[in-house]
Amino acid sequence: MTAAMPNFLPVAPEIFVFSMACVILLVDLFLSDARRGVTYLLTQLTLIGAAVLTVKGMSAAAVMTFNGMFVGDALANVLKLAIYGVTFFGFAYSRDYLRERGMYRGEYFVLGLFGVVGMMVMASASHFLTLYLGLELLSLCVYAMVALQRDSGQSTEAAMKYFVLGAMASGLLLYGMSMLYGMTGSLEISAVRKAIEGLSADNVILVFGLVFVVVGIAFKLGAVPFHMWVPDVYHGAPTAVTVYLGTAPKLAAFALVMRLLVGGLEGLAVSWQSMLIILAILSMAAGNVIAIAQDNIKRMLAYSSISHMGFFLLGIVSVSQNGYSSALFYVVVYAVMSLGAFGMVILLSRAGFEAERLDDFKGLNQRSPWHAFLMLLVMISMAGVPPTFGFYAKLLVIQSVINAGMIWLAIVAVLLAVIGAFYYLRVIKLMYFDDADDKAPLGGPADVRVLMGINALALVLLIPWVGVLMEVCRAAIRALAVA
Amino acid sequence: MDFKQLAFYFFAAVLVFAASMVITVRNPVRAALFLVLAFFSAAAVWMQLHAEFLSITLVLVYVGAVMVLFLFVVMMLDINLVRLREGFGEYLPIGGLVAVLLVLEMAIVLGSGPFGIEQMPEPAPLPADYSNTRALGRVLYTQYLYPFEIAALILLVAIVAAIALTMRRRKDSKYQNPGKQIQVQRGDRVRLVKMRAEKKS
Amino acid sequence: MIFGLDAKTIYLLIPLSCLAGALLAGLLGWKIGRRASHVVTILGVAVAFGLSAFVVLPDVLAGKTFNGPVYTWAVSGGIPLEVGFLIDPLSALMMVVVTFVSLMVHVYTIGYMHDDPGYQRFFSYIALFTFAMLMLVMSNNFLQLFFGWEAVGVVSYLLIGFWYTRPTAIYANLKAFLVNRVGDFGFLLGIAAVYMYFGTLDYGAVFGIAPQLAAKVVQVLPGVDWNLITLISILLFIGAMGKSAQVPLHVWLPDSMEGPTPISALIHAATMVTAGVFMVARMSPIYELSTTALSVVLVIGAITAFFMGLVGIVQNDIKRVVAYSTLSQLGYMMVALGASAYSVGIFHLMTHAFFKALLFLAAGSVIIGMHHEQDMRNMGGLRRRMPMTWLTAWIGALALIGFPMFAGFFSKDMIIEAVHHSKTPGATFAYLAVLLGVFVTAFYTFRMIFMTFHGKPRMDKETFDHVHESPWVVTLPLVLLAIPSFAIGFLTIEPLLFGNYFGTSIHVSTQHPVMLELAHDFAKGGESSVNRIGVFVAHGFQSLPFLFAMIGLGLAWLLYLRYPEVPGKIQARAKGLYALLLNKYYADEFNEAVFGRGARGLGNLFWRIGDVRLIDGLLVNGSARLVGWASSIVRQIQSGYVYHYAFAMILGLFLLITFFLHG
Repeated sequence: MTAAMPNFLPVAPEIFVFSMACVILLVDLFLSDARRGVTYLLTQLTLIGAAVLTVKGMSAAAVMTFNGMFVGDALANVLKLAIYGVTFFGFAYSRDYLRERGMYRGEYFVLGLFGVVGMMVMASASHFLTLYLGLELLSLCVYAMVALQRDSGQSTEAAMKYFVLGAMASGLLLYGMSMLYGMTGSLEISAVRKAIEGLSADNVILVFGLVFVVVGIAFKLGAVPFHMWVPDVYHGAPTAVTVYLGTAPKLAAFALVMRLLVGGLEGLAVSWQSMLIILAILSMAAGNVIAIAQDNIKRMLAYSSISHMGFFLLGIVSVSQNGYSSALFYVVVYAVMSLGAFGMVILLSRAGFEAERLDDFKGLNQRSPWHAFLMLLVMISMAGVPPTFGFYAKLLVIQSVINAGMIWLAIVAVLLAVIGAFYYLRVIKLMYFDDADDKAPLGGPADVRVLMGINALALVLLIPWVGVLMEVCRAAIRALAVA
Repeated sequence: MDFKQLAFYFFAAVLVFAASMVITVRNPVRAALFLVLAFFSAAAVWMQLHAEFLSITLVLVYVGAVMVLFLFVVMMLDINLVRLREGFGEYLPIGGLVAVLLVLEMAIVLGSGPFGIEQMPEPAPLPADYSNTRALGRVLYTQYLYPFEIAALILLVAIVAAIALTMRRRKDSKYQNPGKQIQVQRGDRVRLVKMRAEKKS
Repeated sequence: MIFGLDAKTIYLLIPLSCLAGALLAGLLGWKIGRRASHVVTILGVAVAFGLSAFVVLPDVLAGKTFNGPVYTWAVSGGIPLEVGFLIDPLSALMMVVVTFVSLMVHVYTIGYMHDDPGYQRFFSYIALFTFAMLMLVMSNNFLQLFFGWEAVGVVSYLLIGFWYTRPTAIYANLKAFLVNRVGDFGFLLGIAAVYMYFGTLDYGAVFGIAPQLAAKVVQVLPGVDWNLITLISILLFIGAMGKSAQVPLHVWLPDSMEGPTPISALIHAATMVTAGVFMVARMSPIYELSTTALSVVLVIGAITAFFMGLVGIVQNDIKRVVAYSTLSQLGYMMVALGASAYSVGIFHLMTHAFFKALLFLAAGSVIIGMHHEQDMRNMGGLRRRMPMTWLTAWIGALALIGFPMFAGFFSKDMIIEAVHHSKTPGATFAYLAVLLGVFVTAFYTFRMIFMTFHGKPRMDKETFDHVHESPWVVTLPLVLLAIPSFAIGFLTIEPLLFGNYFGTSIHVSTQHPVMLELAHDFAKGGESSVNRIGVFVAHGFQSLPFLFAMIGLGLAWLLYLRYPEVPGKIQARAKGLYALLLNKYYADEFNEAVFGRGARGLGNLFWRIGDVRLIDGLLVNGSARLVGWASSIVRQIQSGYVYHYAFAMILGLFLLITFFLHG
């Protein structure tokens, strides 16, 4: 038995990031603390290089390699590019924070890059096995990153919780996959899809397996009632890690949803649709309501993330091309907004001071009108106020839900979004109408200020190109349908 | 019920028993030992499935290496047994109820329909020279190359993470410099003070 | 075309040069300074005036008109929303008038606003206003008309409240805004009705379809049949009433005098307030189809013309006198429109623009000279101190009262004649009103002139000694406006009214042959144009209006120069009448009591029940409280114990399985 050499070309970005991570791991060993900037630069260059490779390798048709385990299609490319971008910004925001807390070492960046590889694997997975392994790779990196601040009991506790619960969720996901394998006889997503077409949609075993798979996905998304880890981990993790795990992994989770539920199990849409509706409503309700009672901004953003994930699920729930593409749009927009919000929390923190109470945002306008304005943009975008991207994302999702004939769901979503607007507006109120406890003007390195500006302004200034971006999302989703 | 079936049920029962003991016994050393038992039973079940390689690997790796390491650690740590079991009884009724119901549901689903033993065709008997190990090796390095590599990456991450989380250079930690130790002079360590043996009287 | 530019570019250049000036002065005014600000805006308006007067107008006279889109903004529901221009004699005339007066006001402002900290802002506003007004008059569709309509409104509000630290200015500002809302509401309904029944917003298309719908009946309220054209006409006219300050929507205009004088001249006398008149003239093909609508226009105009003039008699603020005279003159224009003498209305619009701007600017000059004193009771005898202002004010006043040969004479006499000939219902009343109006006009105008410039100074000596003539930037516009105030009448009466200048841009149905009769009378004067005008003027000296004007003038002389103590006595005797006039027929009080308090009462009611109880109490606070409560409860679940979390997950899994497998 001989095996043909697989085509390595489509996997070039993954190989590149992985190799570079190893190189950085070694290089970092020989750097003194003063020259740690080299590690940082290499990391950022890696992401840029990966983006270049991904763009170069783009092709109109989907490319399969490694015996159908890897697929390079438009969806994968869009998600990968978004992941690079978001991670790039996140690393840039984190640099000073890490330095001030003695975490400015290669491990953060190396683990971050390995996590990026995991996300890339997920985005390109066309096999249950690769999907699962990518997920594990990502999770493992994140567990470790959360615990990176070793002397902080809070971080360790968060990491522990995340690890235990994550392991459980992985087990459930794996169990569900094994059920599906038992019924369909294959782990390859396209083969599973075909096999399901030959079976009845209410096959007991399939639905049984599906429940486990959905629970696994829901955990990764942080959907209620599998969300409990989210606030504790967001809160407990160093903010530099929170900005990482609160942004890019959401994109990977989207890949998980698309590859598994839409790519493989669309035949069972009748069942997962109603499961996701339940999860979505619970998430939006619990997320928005509990966020109001928070006085810690990281926890508030964690609950906001839960509610956003619920909202994003609505796009999937509509079971239509349009719905999927608006969900993709939503998740990308969410990643950018979340990036901006956590970036601002980082910016406000100083050595020995974590700006994580809501009160720390008091009077931000007096300290730095520019940053207050940027945060204002991020907040109104999160609340879904026009003319921001947050509004368009919500609009598109709601539209797809209405097109799917679930008007009641759209109404519920809008009502809950309105409740949610309250706590975003509260941040604005604190920034603009309250007096600062701490009048120190806001600093931060120049590159971070610029990136922060780009980050927040993009939420408004790119509006004229919303059609183009939407078209990119549509193309990505179409690719999935063809494959 | 022939012998094979009898053996299967025996090992399966031991497996379930051992697994439940792992989470219920009071003493962590015992729990670890029960886990060893569970691994052994599982290995036996796998052996029955002609998965010899996996079965032996399970015993070698988990029982032989992982669990021994684990036992060391458990024995070295001073774990407060009372605190560990705090609230166990309190949560048992509701937790147990849900667990039992869940198991029942799973039993209903899996016991019926397509997973019954009669549903599965008898696999063709394997040729005498069939090597489980060789077959695994073949697919692992060809068809499953990609996942295999990712798994390797996961292990690498695990190593990096473990080192990052445990290796610490504390400022107050004491360490030796062998170079200095070798170059040390007698005079650096011992100071001879001349003094009289007796007090001047 | 000049400079090798094609017509479209020139048309675009006219409003855009004003806009460019406004943007430069408005956005960069703080940087480029005062001088540069007025230079750029004046340059912009000068370009607009030059192009209008020396390129567009000759073109139009040569028969070159234009109607078409210049820029398509969007297509919505099959209707193209576009910027389009209709350049015909009517709009060309308006463009020239608007840009000329605007240019004069710009120059004048340099002197008037000299010490104001908001100098650049002011220039930016008036240039912006000119842009908006040009867009309004050049429009070829209802949408753009509405845009211009609202845009001039916005600038007008900004300018009325220009001195935003004065509470009175803010009040006037708000009042103008609210009253115009009423008018605009009607206007918008009218446009909506046009769109609904005509399916287009393009003038040409609408006018083309209109005759076919002349007899169409719609039921807005069940059981009541309304003629569609009448309905549309009246709705549009409500808009015109708001903008052109016709009774009962006139109340905002006198208060708008809170703004600086240059804008009173530009916006509240010469241009914006005449937008309503222009609009009705522009819509003549629609109005001609409905005698009812014409009658409404006629009667409302007549009421405004006479009764607002009366109020002018008792005003003591120099600007308010001019303001009421503006109201009254706007009424005259409406009367002309109602009598189907659209060209006469526009003719009066034009002459009025010149002499009223002149009067306002003269009043402004007096105000500068008196160091921002506006009460005429503290003036008098300024003739010797401000000769230039005095002279030009006299010309303006003579034009206003319609003294023969002056511009106002031709237009006003023609209006009176037109109403005389008109058979539209209400014409007799209107004739009476405009005739008596002449007397009233002459009386208050010369009351103002005499009180301001003649007689003994009623101020202390020191103040009087400090009064001096205004700088040349103020007097130059006065002189430049005085010339057309005198001459524009006899120069243009023939082509405008009888020479078919307007051509097809104004449509008069054969059922309303007023213009023909006027032309017939006019033609009797002789063969040559000079003869005809001579005869007309000569006839003017013997006519009833002249008599009335002279009586008014004489009475003013008697009461305010000869026997200045008499007015006080009359005032004491006719207390009721005086109070009625002084309080402007209690229109403000009425509005306040009925609409203001009524609306406030209703609002209060809704607020108490709807807002406070239902929305605030139940929905907002209630839901906020509910959410807060729920939030604090649900928060408890987040205990921090990992086994709680794990259990929640298992429970969720269990429920999902149970639900989907057995449910």
